[in-house]
Amino acid sequence: MAAGVSVRAGAAGVPYGHVVGSEKWRGSRLVRGLQGPVRLILEEDLALVDFHLPHGTCVLYVSEADVVAGNGFRRRLAQFRSASNLNGIVMVERTTTSDQYFPAMQNFVVLELGMTLLPVANQEEASQLIIQLVHEQSKDRTSNPFLRKQCSQLTHASILRTVQQIPGVGKTKALLLLQRFGSIHQLCNASVQELEQVVGQTVAQQIYAFFTQTN
Amino acid sequence: MPASSRLLETEAPLCILVDSREISSGSEIISSLKAVHEIKVQVCSLGGCDYIVSNRLVVERKFQSELLNNTNRSKLIQRIQHLQSMFERICVIVEKDRIKAGEALRQLHRTKHYDGMLSAFVRAGIRILFSSCQEETAKLLKDLALVERRKKAAIAVPPEVSSPKQDALRFYLSIPNISHLTALNMCHRFGSVKMMANSSLKDIAAGAQVSQQKAEEIYRYIRYGFDPQMLPENLNTNGKSSTSMAKC
Repeated sequence: MAAGVSVRAGAAGVPYGHVVGSEKWRGSRLVRGLQGPVRLILEEDLALVDFHLPHGTCVLYVSEADVVAGNGFRRRLAQFRSASNLNGIVMVERTTTSDQYFPAMQNFVVLELGMTLLPVANQEEASQLIIQLVHEQSKDRTSNPFLRKQCSQLTHASILRTVQQIPGVGKTKALLLLQRFGSIHQLCNASVQELEQVVGQTVAQQIYAFFTQTN
Repeated sequence: MPASSRLLETEAPLCILVDSREISSGSEIISSLKAVHEIKVQVCSLGGCDYIVSNRLVVERKFQSELLNNTNRSKLIQRIQHLQSMFERICVIVEKDRIKAGEALRQLHRTKHYDGMLSAFVRAGIRILFSSCQEETAKLLKDLALVERRKKAAIAVPPEVSSPKQDALRFYLSIPNISHLTALNMCHRFGSVKMMANSSLKDIAAGAQVSQQKAEEIYRYIRYGFDPQMLPENLNTNGKSSTSMAKC
């Protein structure tokens, strides 16, 4: 059993557009669905893993029968989690039969093990999803909208807006205050006298009170 | 950790902030969180966040149908990017669409776009959870809040502020890329706005309960040298501003 924990040595080196699958899947509908859209290589001894994708991602498949049978798959997933630092995606067959077990399984895989769980209805759906995962992993990082570095906001406009949140301060006063003090930090530390040089006495006191008011 | 403080920690009720927009589409989630899971729910305007579950985790709730095709894509991307600017962790709960009375049970017709969106989430480290109804979504939110509490990230300040502090809350909320919860933390943890502004990086991180990186952003923003020349045209010159000029 312990030997079975080993995860394929070159797993991180699956080339773009490729999938390395376990030999036991030969002839399956899942493999037939993959062939063509991705380059599939079947190998013996992938141990716990069913498919290796590019970028150190791999798929562990849990069939309807595995789910219904109970704890076997849990042991396998926990073993994988402690034995490897690969990005493990668990694909589970969610059918009318296995549906009732899904919430508990999701809790275990996602919340306890911290892995990804993606339900599929059958092997065909799994092959379609794997194709999309391979495409995603093969693309440039910047093509993923959630990995793109966002451009910085207009800081000066934001600062003006922040200062306008002070009670009694509109846009004109905010501009005058910032021109005089230069930054929010300086403005926070201004004395009433200094503030009075820019705005009227009442507002100066109001601003001072706003900054220094404690609970 | 001494046993007594651990006991205290488990006794404090879990708290989740819920965006007021969820009242219409997720009323059962809110009532289930309160009644079944005994969670302190604060409904308020969260500016684009559906559920704030901890100091670092936000949950976006999506119907399955919204991920099936292109129509909602750009809106969804914008929303998630907005969340990414504020939170360290994002979880998307994919909820089955409600079946209207009299409608036959529909099987999910899975699309390439759906699988593509899931793949993009996975690659970007965005967590995905699946729910078949609002009650289940509520359970998932609670489970997430429990995990976050174990990781010492639970919401630990009162979710509301007294009226004199409302102004300070608004002030903090105007800092770019700050979540409602971060602003709340600042309100409760800093004696005054001045004290916050004079805090060290470490104190900002501890007080606002944010990452080192976010603390640096806040620290820099507070000290950023303002230059009116750098304002966008519409803010600096006439147009709308001329009216406000007259008012002041």
